[in-house]
Amino acid sequence: MLRVPLTRAICLTHSSRVLVTASARLQSNIPAKAPEKVEVFIDDQPVMVAPGTTVLQAAAQIGVEIPRFCYHERLAVAGNCRMCLVEVEKSPKPVAACAMPVMKGWRIKTNSEMTRKAREGVMEFLLANHPLDCPICDQGGECDLQDQAMVFGSDRSRFTDIDHAGKRAVEDKDIGPLVKTIMTRCIHCTRCIRFASEIAGVDDFGTTGRGNEMQVGTYVEKLFLTELSGNVIDLCPVGALTNKPYSFSARPWEVRKIDSIDVLDALGSNIVVSTRTGEVLRILPRENEDINEEWLSDKSRFACDGLKRQRLITPMLRKPNGELEAVEWETALIGVAQAVQNAGDKVAAVAGSLVDAEQLIAVKDLLNRLGSELLCTEQKFPTADGTSGTDFRSNYLLNSSIAACEEADLVLLVGTNPRYEAPLLNTRLRKGYVHKEQDIALIGPKVDLSYRYEHLGNSSSIVQDIASGKHPFAQRLKSAKRPLVIVGANALSRSDGKAFLAGLHSFANQLTPEDKNWKVWNVLQTNASQVAALDMGYKAGVEEIVAAGPKVLFLLGADGGAINKDNIPKDCFVVYLGHHGDNGAPLAHAILPGAAYTEKQATYVNTEGRAQQTLVAITPPGMARDDWKIIRALSEVIGTSLPYDNLDEIRDRLEDVAPHLVRYGRLEENNFYAQAAQLAKLQASSLQGDIDVKQRTLADFFMTDSISRASPTMAKCVQAVKKAQATA
Amino acid sequence: MRIRDLAIYFGFDKLQRLYQDVKIHGGLLMAIQKFRRFDDLKSGRLIGQDKYGNKYYENLYYFFGRSRWVEYPEYKNCEMDGSQVAPEWSGWLSYRTDAPPYADPIKIYTKYKWMLDHSENLSGTKHAYMPYSTTKPKIEAWVPKKDD
Repeated sequence: MLRVPLTRAICLTHSSRVLVTASARLQSNIPAKAPEKVEVFIDDQPVMVAPGTTVLQAAAQIGVEIPRFCYHERLAVAGNCRMCLVEVEKSPKPVAACAMPVMKGWRIKTNSEMTRKAREGVMEFLLANHPLDCPICDQGGECDLQDQAMVFGSDRSRFTDIDHAGKRAVEDKDIGPLVKTIMTRCIHCTRCIRFASEIAGVDDFGTTGRGNEMQVGTYVEKLFLTELSGNVIDLCPVGALTNKPYSFSARPWEVRKIDSIDVLDALGSNIVVSTRTGEVLRILPRENEDINEEWLSDKSRFACDGLKRQRLITPMLRKPNGELEAVEWETALIGVAQAVQNAGDKVAAVAGSLVDAEQLIAVKDLLNRLGSELLCTEQKFPTADGTSGTDFRSNYLLNSSIAACEEADLVLLVGTNPRYEAPLLNTRLRKGYVHKEQDIALIGPKVDLSYRYEHLGNSSSIVQDIASGKHPFAQRLKSAKRPLVIVGANALSRSDGKAFLAGLHSFANQLTPEDKNWKVWNVLQTNASQVAALDMGYKAGVEEIVAAGPKVLFLLGADGGAINKDNIPKDCFVVYLGHHGDNGAPLAHAILPGAAYTEKQATYVNTEGRAQQTLVAITPPGMARDDWKIIRALSEVIGTSLPYDNLDEIRDRLEDVAPHLVRYGRLEENNFYAQAAQLAKLQASSLQGDIDVKQRTLADFFMTDSISRASPTMAKCVQAVKKAQATA
Repeated sequence: MRIRDLAIYFGFDKLQRLYQDVKIHGGLLMAIQKFRRFDDLKSGRLIGQDKYGNKYYENLYYFFGRSRWVEYPEYKNCEMDGSQVAPEWSGWLSYRTDAPPYADPIKIYTKYKWMLDHSENLSGTKHAYMPYSTTKPKIEAWVPKKDD
């Protein structure tokens, strides 16, 4: 039972995969009988468990935690650290709890003399070759070995080293700019190896040598090139793999940890922001089974040093000679207010990718009061005739939810590279592929998704063929039990995106999945702000603004390049409201410095439509302020005060507009699929050319927004990847 | 003799002394001016003057510790500080020597040519020494390009 799911992962390297899946299918067609539970006794407490449950899992069910190093819930069982040895009555030897399935009537003793002696012995062996460098080790304070040595280890050492032979030492490896290795500290739990091959899908790690000579490494010197490499730092129970940018900067007990939400992709991964002395030192994942499990992508984890570079810290106004000059808030607000008052209703706003819901609603209210409806997001979404566009929420959401993606049996990816657009969605798909017989097909450029998929081609005519049912894959989708169509937001932002939407949406609605509530149509957004903006009634794409030629244009962190010098009128007064000086700020006539996502309590809605909030980890730098408060202050100078003075009041307003925006952590059910499909008429023939994705290789992944573009660590990653690709 | 004793008994000699001091300082207005600057009205023998214009006085009528004093030049007005005293006079003023610098046989102070010129303590003035921070700022601000 334990290693069966791995057969597929192992088969990745063999061409016999089809055979294996076929036989596995055969087995899975036999209806499984509900297995009878078996009774075992953990420390004399009876517990009923399913057969095949391991001793460790059975103990966990009644809250008995057995110490472990190599065992991890989300990885295959290795059973090589021996720390989980427990005594089983009538068994001559202690058994490894993590790998041993329970038998009926077993009496397991997790705290007996024999168990404790076994643990102490294992610990002694581990420590015999583990350096005593805890004072200079970055893992100190959050080290499993430290903690367990304190609880289960011996109280004195038999390690004397009379001959001064020294402990075993291993050469450090260079596996990239993110993960620092101190291989002497490695206790060979092989968690990193299993993570790399099972979850990241990069079979780079492995062991060489045996016994005392055993080493974990990459065989040949090689970078650990994956978008999930940071997770091995969390997995490593000792200080062998540590966070390179964070090295030697703080101890875990002296940092303040604030629960927050990541905004660098549209998944809204749950994070913990560690801060000290007013700086964000590192970002760790927070467990959320519905979104990121316990993983985090490298961009979300390591781009936090971008929050300290290229920041806008004072308001600025452009002087008559064309230079931006730092001014006081009062001067800046009056300057902007004058421009707005002179513009009448020719005021517009463009929302970038990192904008929160509070800011969006404040700007929308302000502009509506001024008589303008020109509120757009940077990224396009088809709204033209033939589609219901953004009228129905279900049109632009990942309807089936992120967690459900692993349950699908057939997935069609269109114009997206989930590996880099949403790395943790890709781990779900990979999980489905490895463990649950999921088949995946892709329309778009041939990219490495870390698992095998059927490449249908990159011509957009294939989309049309599938939509009209001509393509053989359409038949497979129709016969699938839980089909998924995942369309990338960038594919929909093409000029012929409406044909994608209309064609695939109506096709998706024709499918008849086994479960009536199964949702086939999914859009994978790439911007954290997009869903909230569309929920609020922002229009997708800036064409309307370009056509209208506004006199005042608010750029809300709009750094994506949709607005540039050439497509706005010469006399347009541009106000940039954001936190980084990137592509948008140089266009501006006035800069109002806002707060980044670690510096404000703000609402974000992820691609599946789940509202979540960030919390304040540090204060905004310099004179920067909460974005919605800036808009509120500006409204007062303009003379149309917005009716909210604090966070609660603006959230009441959010609730008025769309109640789901303040139901934090909840996934709102979507509906109106049939109506949306009815409105989505099949476009005759407008799909031409090839489908492209913005992020093809790992080098494209690291720098995608104003925060990651300002991050030196991300720049190092891009360089390292490019160098590795050039030499490979 | 008796009248003088009586005068001392009633403190008239102090008034007389005040009159004398006022007279020495050149009249009531000048005396008030002096008093405003030094909070004191003392007259004594001028021992010397340094190159900054400080005048050094001695009057043994006052007890030890108050019998030597410096009067800072007019142009300093009330911006006075002990560090404005020239270094060669410092010894005489603080009773380390009884000889003024121009007549000191043991040369308690010698000016060599490699010595820097004396400067007063500038703390609290706009010329005060202010070390600049050599640590990098935690937040690097965006600097707009000139040609934008």
